[in-house]
Amino acid sequence: MVFILGINFSERKMVAKALQGFFGIGPSVSRTIMAHHHIHKTCRIGQLSQDQVVSMQSELSNMTIENNLRRKILDNIKRLRDIGAYRGRRHAMNLPVRGQRTRTQIKTATKLNRVERRL
Amino acid sequence: MQPTRILFHRSVWKGPHIVPLHIARPKPGERATPVKTQQRSATILPSFVGLRFQVHNGIVYHDITITEEMVGHKLGEFAPTRKRFKYTQTKNR
Repeated sequence: MVFILGINFSERKMVAKALQGFFGIGPSVSRTIMAHHHIHKTCRIGQLSQDQVVSMQSELSNMTIENNLRRKILDNIKRLRDIGAYRGRRHAMNLPVRGQRTRTQIKTATKLNRVERRL
Repeated sequence: MQPTRILFHRSVWKGPHIVPLHIARPKPGERATPVKTQQRSATILPSFVGLRFQVHNGIVYHDITITEEMVGHKLGEFAPTRKRFKYTQTKNR
């Protein structure tokens, strides 16, 4: 068991996959982080040295991920709503924001485009 | 790499889209008249903060007071152009 940012990962788990578990880290960012700390792509959590874990943790804590990122996204939508911009208004109406057609096929937009967006 | 494509922005070398607007500075003691304009694509500059604008939406002019957060947006973003869909039953069928 290894703790990274307060989350417990089993030793069998791939490092790339473990990093992608964080909100805001996808395949590309996880590859960059692993390159920073000289970790090969099939490395598992158990094979990491203590220094690597510590330095990786310090890098992750400086990034906007997880709840900080969620709050940032919601704040951006709320800002658009508060100043009365077109994009904010479309979020409030649960309609497509970037000029897509609305005659058909707007299920995803009605589901996701909200001022209090679920992330 | 094209950084602007990733940022979903206008090219940096072009700078903001600046449109010469007729902004009259009011004489002391007079109230500032709103700037009436059809230039919806004009970028809101930091010097506009606090001014009142009347932005055309195709039919009427919408009143806008520029706040600090609006800087960087376009004037047209604050004057909606579309009518809300409203179902009306036909009278003569």
